Amino acid sequence: MAASDTIARWRYRYVPDHLLGEILAKRWIDNAIPLLILLIVVAVFGSLIPDFFGAASISNMMRQWGEFGLIVIALTIVMVAGGIDLSVGSVFALGNIVALGLLSVAEWPVPAVVAATLACGAAVGLVNGLLVGYLRLRAFLTTLVTLIIVRAVVDMLLLKYSVAIAAAFPDSELWYYFGEGDVLGVPFSVVVAVTLALVLHLFLSRSRAGWHVLAVGGSRRSAHNVGIPVRRVVCATYVLSGALAALAGLLFASRLGGAGADTGIGLEIAALTAAVLGGNSLGGGRGSAAKAVIGSITVMIMVNGLVRLGVTSGANSLLLGAVLLAAVGIDVRWLKNRHKFLSKVYVSPTYSQLPPAPATSGSSPYALNDRLRTVEAIGLGSIDGPEDVILDEDDNIYVGNRTGDIVRFLAPDYARQELFVHTGGRPLGMAFARDGSLLACIGGMGLYRITGDRRVEKLTDETNRSWLSVIDDSRLRLADDLDIAPDGRVFFSEATVRYEMHEWPVDCLESRGNGRIICYDPNAGTTRTVLKNLVFPNGICMTHDGQSFLFAETWACRVSRYWFDGPRKGTVEPVISDLPGYPDNINRASDGTYWLALVGIRTPSLDLALKMPGFRRRMARRIAPDEWMYPNINTGCVIRFDETGRIIETLWDFGGENHPMITSMREHKGHLYIGGILNNRVGRLKLHGMDPTWTGAGSYWGRK
Amino acid sequence: MRLLKTGILAATFALSAGSALAQGIDDPTRAPYYDSFKGKRIAYVPVAMGFDLTEGWAAGLKEAFEPLGVTFDIRDPNWSTDAGAAAITSLITEKPDVIVVHNPDVQSYARLLKKAEEAGIYVVQVNMRSSYSTDAFIGADYVGMGQQIGERLVEKCSPANGGSGKVAITQGVLTAAASVYQMEGINNVLSQHPEIQLVSNQAADWDATKAKNIAATVIQQHPDLCAITGFWDVMDVGTAAAIKESGKNVYLLTQGGGNRMACDGLANGTYSEVVVYFVPGQARDMATMIKQMLQLKQPAGANKTTLFTPLTFLTKDNMTPASCWDLPTKN
Repeated sequence: MAASDTIARWRYRYVPDHLLGEILAKRWIDNAIPLLILLIVVAVFGSLIPDFFGAASISNMMRQWGEFGLIVIALTIVMVAGGIDLSVGSVFALGNIVALGLLSVAEWPVPAVVAATLACGAAVGLVNGLLVGYLRLRAFLTTLVTLIIVRAVVDMLLLKYSVAIAAAFPDSELWYYFGEGDVLGVPFSVVVAVTLALVLHLFLSRSRAGWHVLAVGGSRRSAHNVGIPVRRVVCATYVLSGALAALAGLLFASRLGGAGADTGIGLEIAALTAAVLGGNSLGGGRGSAAKAVIGSITVMIMVNGLVRLGVTSGANSLLLGAVLLAAVGIDVRWLKNRHKFLSKVYVSPTYSQLPPAPATSGSSPYALNDRLRTVEAIGLGSIDGPEDVILDEDDNIYVGNRTGDIVRFLAPDYARQELFVHTGGRPLGMAFARDGSLLACIGGMGLYRITGDRRVEKLTDETNRSWLSVIDDSRLRLADDLDIAPDGRVFFSEATVRYEMHEWPVDCLESRGNGRIICYDPNAGTTRTVLKNLVFPNGICMTHDGQSFLFAETWACRVSRYWFDGPRKGTVEPVISDLPGYPDNINRASDGTYWLALVGIRTPSLDLALKMPGFRRRMARRIAPDEWMYPNINTGCVIRFDETGRIIETLWDFGGENHPMITSMREHKGHLYIGGILNNRVGRLKLHGMDPTWTGAGSYWGRK
Repeated sequence: MRLLKTGILAATFALSAGSALAQGIDDPTRAPYYDSFKGKRIAYVPVAMGFDLTEGWAAGLKEAFEPLGVTFDIRDPNWSTDAGAAAITSLITEKPDVIVVHNPDVQSYARLLKKAEEAGIYVVQVNMRSSYSTDAFIGADYVGMGQQIGERLVEKCSPANGGSGKVAITQGVLTAAASVYQMEGINNVLSQHPEIQLVSNQAADWDATKAKNIAATVIQQHPDLCAITGFWDVMDVGTAAAIKESGKNVYLLTQGGGNRMACDGLANGTYSEVVVYFVPGQARDMATMIKQMLQLKQPAGANKTTLFTPLTFLTKDNMTPASCWDLPTKN
């Protein structure tokens, strides 16, 4: 091996390029830039202001953050649903004066004051909600008007009551507790804000109503079309926003007790800056409580820090304006370019050196022939992509198709076909269980069982999560083929965790060990990953000893054997490591050997490209996916081999005239039934010299 | 050996005695005076910087204390009560020796100032006080000032003296000490003078634009308006503009810190009369109080002193070039 190859191999083994794409694909990556800004702000002000990190300083800032955080949370709720609420600043001032007025002038008890203040804020929110949600007025203008009207109402109330409020001294401990009290050393307002942030987080991420809010923000039209009451949802967000803003005003009232005319002036701009800076999209549909918290802390530290630094008047507003502008800019650019960037960097090839391909001519066991020329076509043109083929005890053929059905061709002449079940995913590998039910790997869904009375039951769709995986690998994306151990355990392969069903050939460009083999144990009801980092594991077939199975790794061009029981439990041993093509399904043959389908044949160009990950990465970044260099998956063959890896025979259709596209084959009563994921028929080939009574069910479960 | 030591000792004494004699007798309070300011810190929280009053106080305090080695810190909340409260809250934890506060209203800072005192910080309130009394208040006696203004209004506008009897008041922020206490004084007088009709009593929140709008409206509603009294000359620039635009002869009685602008305004007829509380004097009073506190070293809040600033009623006729003061030019 050349030195440069060695370097490339080590470089691609130890630098996890693929993580960049996986991290960028995560939803929480939206928080990365806001968090970075927060850290920068903390670092800058922390170094400029002495004792910035002191306990007392932190406690002060937290208390102020409590109120501000509530306002930002209020605004976030509305923004997530695609609206905007500029009236939060005025409602905050209204909450302040109403609470003070009711407490000091009307002398209401504190609980009644709290209830009335919240109701007052909610009422303003309701006005916004009715106008924006039901009458479909523009949110920006409507709330701008409410901002002005509510401010005018506040001014009028001030004129009438502010002196009376200033003269009164409410002597309620409970009242002052709102503004000055601590819960276990944490200011009360912070406890309120954090609690509400948590509630909002759970609401948006875990509740039906929260999803409705996100859906409405994402696309009002689509949300309406799927039956979400859009108007009611929009209206409700404004009511919530109003109530939260009033609550913040109440806390402010308790802390300062001042009915000042400047209360809440400009607060909407600060809150908007915080919300957008946190990463909540102005367009709606994208936002979270975490973003609101991050953004509000950042803005609060900046404003507070500038006051503490003694910067001259006006600098504060200037900075806030500049930050808002930058945040909106980042928001727009990020939203626009994230997917572009992601699609460029997601494909992350690694170094892969395949052993030299054996010859397919002369005396090679793989020598070309045209033994598949006599294959008969079943259901020609009426079946779309039968990846796997299986036959039941009554000789009926079952195949999956591209539109998510499992179709049955009825014996004996297979002229008639019927829809057996509709699964909804992409049926791939199949196997009959001991009880006669059909188990299928369904791409995009997981492992399913179809009972004799055609009920589709989920066996499993998740496995254990790897702790160090960025991608959530607990979900099954591409369950591919399965086989069943004598004790009923189901071993099935998941070809790749990085790509969805329709992109499976792209995984070859990476040729990384993205796949795994998973065991579903019906007795314990558990699903566990047993083998990881396999290069597109595909076919699985139980050996005859009941303790191991053979599995094919497509892009690695090899077949290996894994012992799941017995003295060699847990070991993997190569069986064939230098196939001339890409192996797919493996199935038992009647004489104790195994059939193996090669979905395509290796080409020298791609073999070379696999040793040049940099080349493949440039290709993936610079040219359109349609023009990428893909593995050949058009022409394949069927191979029979034994447990030692000896090739017994090879069945070709030289020239590809009759049946070239092969992903699976199943021997049944002296015939070989052939499926192909991109084929439009099921092939049937009469076998000579094989047991004409042999069936798979008999071989596995001892029945005839 | 012992002899040698004694000799050196004696020589040292002789020398030091000689040098003391050569310098004369030192002032016994001088060293403690300077020591009491060494390393001290004064924090100043006005409602905002950038106008005559707050800049004037800041300049006066700086002038008094910076030569003594006192650190002088300005926290500018820029008209935001919340930011001001935040500034005081963080000051309480930073523990300067003195906080000088200019309250935006009588209520908001009250509890904070109490906490500051409890934390051992001397609190000096300037011009606009809070409802909580701290170590010192230096500023106008707004109730008394209101009474005097009330009397001037009666004098100018009473029908008995040929006026229409209609007056208007433009307050600042309603809950600010300047507004609350002054209204008290004005009301005391006007309640005894039913012939004076208060046609408008509104708040312009120290904002000239608002003041202008208020005045313009009032003059339209009452073309025979006799006088407007506004609570701050900077704000009443707006009132004056409205009067000028209306072309009416309305007597504008305003008040302020006696900055050069006030005298100019009197000279060119913008204002008719200005009640002046002399800002450099207030700054000096504050400095004096603070110096006393720092030297007496009594616990914060032990004594509560009020120093009312003397008031001057300036008109075009009685003002002299010395009536107003200039901000030191910044270089």
